[in-house]
Amino acid sequence: MNAEPYSPAMARPRRVMVLGLAALTTGFASVEMHRLLSARGTTVPELLVLALFTLCFAWIALSFWGGVAGFVQLVSNRRVPGLRWPTEAEAAGPLTRRTAVVMPIHNEDPASVFAHVQATYESVAATGLLEAFDFYVLSDSTRAEAWVAEELAWSELCRRVNGQGRIFYRRRSDNTGKKAGNLADFCERWGRRYDFLLVLDADSLMAGDSVVKMARLMELNPGAGILQVPPQNVGRSTLFARLQQFAGRMYGPIVAAGAAAWQLGDSNYWGHNAILRMAPFIEHCGLPVLPGQQPFGGHILSHDFVEAALMRRAGFTVWLVPELGGSYEQPPPDLLAYAQRDRRWCQGNLQHLGLVMAGGLHPMSRMHFLMGVMSYVASPLWLIFLVSGLFAALHEWFFSPVTLVDFQSTLPGGDAFDTAGALRLMAASLAMLWIPRLMGLGLVLADRAEAARMGGRFKLVLSVALEGVVSTLMAPVMMLFQSHFVFGTLLGYRVTWSSQQREDTDLPWSEAFRRHKWHMAVGVVLAALTVAVAPGMLAWLSPVILGLWLAPAISVYTARASLGLWAQRRGLFLIPEEVAPPAVLVRAQELSEEGLEPVDDALDHVLTDPRAHALHLALLEAHPTAGVPGALASARRKLLAGAVEPLSPQEKSAVLLDARTLSELRGRRLGVRA
Amino acid sequence: MDSVTTHPFLSFAPEMPQARADTREALEGFFQDFGFTGRGDLERLASWVLGPSHVGPSLLVRGRAAFVLVGGARWGADVLMREPRNLPEAWRRAVCESVPMAAPAEVPCQMREQVLVLNPFMELVRRWLRPDSRADVSPSR
Repeated sequence: MNAEPYSPAMARPRRVMVLGLAALTTGFASVEMHRLLSARGTTVPELLVLALFTLCFAWIALSFWGGVAGFVQLVSNRRVPGLRWPTEAEAAGPLTRRTAVVMPIHNEDPASVFAHVQATYESVAATGLLEAFDFYVLSDSTRAEAWVAEELAWSELCRRVNGQGRIFYRRRSDNTGKKAGNLADFCERWGRRYDFLLVLDADSLMAGDSVVKMARLMELNPGAGILQVPPQNVGRSTLFARLQQFAGRMYGPIVAAGAAAWQLGDSNYWGHNAILRMAPFIEHCGLPVLPGQQPFGGHILSHDFVEAALMRRAGFTVWLVPELGGSYEQPPPDLLAYAQRDRRWCQGNLQHLGLVMAGGLHPMSRMHFLMGVMSYVASPLWLIFLVSGLFAALHEWFFSPVTLVDFQSTLPGGDAFDTAGALRLMAASLAMLWIPRLMGLGLVLADRAEAARMGGRFKLVLSVALEGVVSTLMAPVMMLFQSHFVFGTLLGYRVTWSSQQREDTDLPWSEAFRRHKWHMAVGVVLAALTVAVAPGMLAWLSPVILGLWLAPAISVYTARASLGLWAQRRGLFLIPEEVAPPAVLVRAQELSEEGLEPVDDALDHVLTDPRAHALHLALLEAHPTAGVPGALASARRKLLAGAVEPLSPQEKSAVLLDARTLSELRGRRLGVRA
Repeated sequence: MDSVTTHPFLSFAPEMPQARADTREALEGFFQDFGFTGRGDLERLASWVLGPSHVGPSLLVRGRAAFVLVGGARWGADVLMREPRNLPEAWRRAVCESVPMAAPAEVPCQMREQVLVLNPFMELVRRWLRPDSRADVSPSR
């Protein structure tokens, strides 16, 4: 327990330490880089290379020192200051405030969504404190089949767990503001009924005791606006997803503990698996609509960072609380699905550039915006850095009176090149990337029981090495993907809002080649250029070239659940949640496997199934929603005239929103049957 | 409402071997509309309505009339309106679990859009250069 309330003075020494060390390291590296580049004087392209290197190195230096802070935090085994934790007596008492647990969804698989809601609900019920919670599934689904299936799944869930009056379902037919608009709609209609808002994602899962602890921490810390519990990746079988799960379990705790340790009450919100204080959220976190057109203007896409900044601006603190645990989500099943998600996040984060200078924000909020931007912009910066390096070398060759042999002597492997110095710098850069990983490995190896749950010490080390090889090979492809997304956003491409792929399905070779053909071409060009201009650099660039050439194969093979399960049987990439899964995960898995009655055609289902018909009309009656008159009129013409022409999705939705037409159609159908 | 089990008294209904297949199908459809799904239940309900001497195509009308005359709607209303303690627990639970309650009563409020001056420095310059121009703030909804 720490009763001392949070103050900026608590964070100052920690921030000076992490940011100062990152700045110092970057300074040393930049001086060394300048020395390497200026062997024959410094040209303009070389100055550009130096500037890019400094920026990129600063980013990895910040990640490195954040990781070191996390390691120190975990080894010290102490809680960060500023949050008041409950005493034993307080922890055993009832909750006095009410929390809404909400799950916004958009065309997701209802079986999985409601399995996760049910597992979380039952887990909260098992704590004996269910009375303090209500659950809401907030649907923005636009596909009629998903909509009707959700209604049936919700009704079935209420029946199963006797959840009438505690588990609610609301669907919007207008998706204004996307996920943030969905949540805002909830807050404006039901928010005042609750003290706290616990936000889940469609694939989120939370253990009941963690949910209760989050609500209790909010009760005990009236100055806390948001508590974020970092979710662990779990529950997938493909090799790609299992690699993500393993990496997250191995290095995630260091990263999260580090961020929590130096950011304290000025941390960030990741959009789900977090609890928010309702009143200030309603009062101070209504999202602005940015001036201009997409991609930079319009509705804010990545709402979480902005909501955290607004909450902080209003004087409430934002905390990362990794020690609570019991917070889960699912990773994307393959590299392409991961990239698809990245594309969405990339545009959302780049949109924050327009808010960095906004008046009244806390400096740490500005830093979170910049770090979010850097997490995507770092890729094109590295790419430009590599290209600029090549350009700077060619520039020297073209504009200096040197022969090809002399020119090649200035490149890596050449006599005039300070190979030892370059190797030192490269080793330092690689060390900064790898040391946090090794610290994560060290922490697990030091805990015999944890190491046993991750396959044993030998398998654990082997898994780390293999994961390192695969992620190194994937890195160039991700660099090109992210560069494409950043440049695409800057050029004005818009992101379409589609639900994330969450199924473990094999990736066809044709799709992999289609998506990676340009990556392979870049690999071929890079290899050809290297051989022609600087053969000595081939060995240095071989991981990049190989990664690009092998991109389709890497995508296809890592997308296979069979390979993921094969590795699991051999004890590779194991996480404790696979070896000894928590009850809430087991339950969610059981429920997901039970599945739901499929809804192949929403309208046909509502017209033929009496249960679906009665339920759908009752929900329409409870929450009448205005339809589209034009679409309804044309649908009625087709349906009531007995035309064979199929309904468009808009017409189908219009009919499903109109109780009169539905009753009429059902009457006709029964009449025909009679 | 997965299925509805018929009351025991229906098992005493007479057999109906002579009922036409299309008539029986129409009646089954009618009772399916009320949630009866079991084959045996549907046959017994159809037998109960038709009786042994059934003829003619107007059975659906007779079936609806039977539902009205037997007071089906009144029974339902009675169950819904009675004090919970007067109902058998199984009935009470069945009714409670079947009434869809999508969301509780709303408590409307407005989540005001926050106004952010996106670049305070440029805002100062703007005010100095063109005092009448529009501020670079997030526009309101």
